[in-house]
Amino acid sequence: MITKTILEQIEGEASLYFDMKGNIVDFVTIAFPHFRGMEKMLEGKNAMDALVITPRVCGICGHSHLLASVRAIEDAYKNSDSVVEITNKAAKVREITLVLEIIQNHLKWIYLVLVPHLRELSESEELLNTPLKGAYGASFATKILAIFAGQWPHSSYMVPGGITSDFTYVDLTKAKSHLQKLTEYFEAETLGASVEEFLSFESCKDFAPLESDFAKIEQLLIDLEMHKKGHAKDTFLSIGIHEFSHAAKVKGTKLFKVASKYVETQDAYAPDEKSYAKNALYKNQFYETGPLARCMAKEFKLIKNMHRRFKDSAYTRVMARIYETAYLLGFCKKLLDEINISEASCRETIPLKNISGTGEGVVEAPRGPLIHRVQIKEGIIKSYEIITPTQYNIASATKENPSPAQQAMLHCSQADAKFIFRTFDVCSVCTTH
Amino acid sequence: MADRIEGVKKLFTSKSARVETNKGDAYYEKLFEKCQARIEELKTQQPINNRLDITDVLEMQGIERRDFLKWASAVTGMLMLPASFTPLVADAALLMNRAPVIWLELSDCAGNSEALLRSDGPKIDEIVLDIISLEFHETLQAAAGHQAEKQLEDAMETFKDKYLLFVEGAVPLGMNGQFGTIGASGETMHDHLLRVAKHAAAVVAVGSCATFGGVPAAAPNPTGAVGVMDVIQGKPLINIPACPANPANMVGVILHYILTGQVPELDSLLRPKFAFGYRIHDNCERRAHFDAGEYVEEWGDEGAKNNFCLYKVGCKGPMTFNNCSIVRYNEGVNWPVGVGRGCIGCSEPDFWDKYAYERPMADAKIKAPTGGVEKTVDEFGLGLLTAAGIGIGIHAVASAVAGKKEDGGEA
Ligand code: SF4
Ligand code: SF4
Repeated sequence: MITKTILEQIEGEASLYFDMKGNIVDFVTIAFPHFRGMEKMLEGKNAMDALVITPRVCGICGHSHLLASVRAIEDAYKNSDSVVEITNKAAKVREITLVLEIIQNHLKWIYLVLVPHLRELSESEELLNTPLKGAYGASFATKILAIFAGQWPHSSYMVPGGITSDFTYVDLTKAKSHLQKLTEYFEAETLGASVEEFLSFESCKDFAPLESDFAKIEQLLIDLEMHKKGHAKDTFLSIGIHEFSHAAKVKGTKLFKVASKYVETQDAYAPDEKSYAKNALYKNQFYETGPLARCMAKEFKLIKNMHRRFKDSAYTRVMARIYETAYLLGFCKKLLDEINISEASCRETIPLKNISGTGEGVVEAPRGPLIHRVQIKEGIIKSYEIITPTQYNIASATKENPSPAQQAMLHCSQADAKFIFRTFDVCSVCTTH
Repeated sequence: MADRIEGVKKLFTSKSARVETNKGDAYYEKLFEKCQARIEELKTQQPINNRLDITDVLEMQGIERRDFLKWASAVTGMLMLPASFTPLVADAALLMNRAPVIWLELSDCAGNSEALLRSDGPKIDEIVLDIISLEFHETLQAAAGHQAEKQLEDAMETFKDKYLLFVEGAVPLGMNGQFGTIGASGETMHDHLLRVAKHAAAVVAVGSCATFGGVPAAAPNPTGAVGVMDVIQGKPLINIPACPANPANMVGVILHYILTGQVPELDSLLRPKFAFGYRIHDNCERRAHFDAGEYVEEWGDEGAKNNFCLYKVGCKGPMTFNNCSIVRYNEGVNWPVGVGRGCIGCSEPDFWDKYAYERPMADAKIKAPTGGVEKTVDEFGLGLLTAAGIGIGIHAVASAVAGKKEDGGEA
């Protein structure tokens, strides 16, 4: 029998159609019932408009869209023989704001999505429902973001050639002090250990002395046997080029080279309802994207160890998101320290109306690789394509070749399946844009 | 529909959006009495659903009474009320849990929910928002699916004709509304909105999508998206545009409602005058440079390094009515002009097609509020910015000396 469930709290909603065999999930198809048509409205507009329109695809990862957009336009410059080189300073600041966006996303996900649903599933009172913790932590991250980007969400401070902000030492010092506070907050409220100590852990056994939100989350996941459930395809994809990530395709534990040109989309398989989502595949295969994929591609010891024991279970997926938060906090500090304020923020470029060509921008967004592909003719957008991370993870395909989320939800109870679905950190507004 | 759009444009080009700050003693005395009576009455009512008590929360967060009053006096100023109203505003904030709020998300990016409840710390604004009786919010409550639907039904029934309905996101009307359906029954967003709005005391459209259709309505408007005011009739309606809307303005509207039992004074586009009664440009930190004719000509140039005016790289501040330059974003840390990229006019109708251009407004062919298509900074300035007359003159001379083109953009 097929039953329909609506899932909210995923920045929009999704319809899940469960095909049950007794109490066990036999198959699930997924439909996204919302659509805005962002790609269509970009056509015919000045390419610079993409920098203000695409951040509005998403209220949670608008920065990632901005960076993908600006990279796509700069790539188009390159493809019409006008290379745009940005300064170190501009590159670092772009990375800092991206990393902060990932951090705020993860913090909110932990306290606004993971904790409430973990409590519900386990019927445990162990862990307190404290959404404000996530919001408060995220507010530090977005305050630092605002120093460089002007506001969050939805800013447009990146332009071909660099960034528009010419910040001062005072701004930089403020950013560093906010980051310090954010790190201390995360250590005290979430980890129960210093970021450094946490990152030095090599196996789950090292969690034993911790008594913190993190420790409780970990314990509840084990109690619910989430280390034995929620296995996806054990193949991972990280494509964006960044200092904090490594572009690779991972099968099991083996790393392979990747090229974004192999990413293609197909219509979602949703027999019961019109879905506006498209599936994203790499060389015709589904891969999991996001923090776990990035941690596997980066070969972080702790996560690799977890993977060795529990494979790509719901447990490992959740842990990777928390681990990445700690890792990026440290990384962000390093970036801030490396900024040379005397460098130029922006280099002059030739006017866009002289540019005709195609361009591609690939970015690691909070949930994985985000691709923008643009075709420009004399500065005007001819076509625009956006492929978001959720399109790989939560694709809806047939039983023969299920997507990561479809695979992960098989053979468990419906309640478990819904929780597992959320471990992918679904974003509905991005998926259908 | 075309009539409607023309109508909106006409409204936008009218002068009514100018704010009237002082209405005379008699007016305020009467208002004061009215508010006082309302607050006294509210005090006798029970808080809804035994929500947290704001005094307790303030204490828990270590916020002193003095700081709270400071906040109240700032809000009083923001609401454009005389300082004597400060104690009343403070009382109103303490009574926030007497106003039930239902929040709907339609065709949107969740950016306003983010701005409202997730991106500010537990400062007083946030505590106050925490205290409001948010009876239904799809993203922020734990309930999902049928459970969520039931919660909505219950809230609508219990607070019939009393709740404030906040709407985020546009209403897609194309293809009979099939671009956006909600809940297990697959109800269209349009039907859903009409149903929930029917027994609302007032409807508050939050963000540019809900107010004027926003980005989903950008040409060619693939989903036939419109704003809430295009489909709701016969209800008090307040628009809080901007992308995202500023949380301070949302708090302001709720406070005003508690204080007076009425919607705040609105401009011709239904925006509260306390927030949208003046232009970005009027309070901009770069205004002195505008007046002195000092402009950023291109991102990365000397002007940019010196924080000159952004008019020539596309700032729409001179035609955008909003209080960002005063309130700012993310706990007052910054705003777009602060990082040198100019205002994109996100609180004005049609801005995606007319304003969003990151290029000089002189080339964007926008009608200035005084009418007429401006062509150069000088002409535009003369038409609209009489107060900046001297600055324009200096700028004209400086430009002539430097031999710069006025229209350096790429239309
Ligand atoms: S008004 Fe802006 S922030 Fe709001 S939903 Fe629309 S695009 Fe997103
Ligand atoms: S044009 Fe823009 S940057 Fe210049 S003074 Fe006006 S609002 Fe400020």
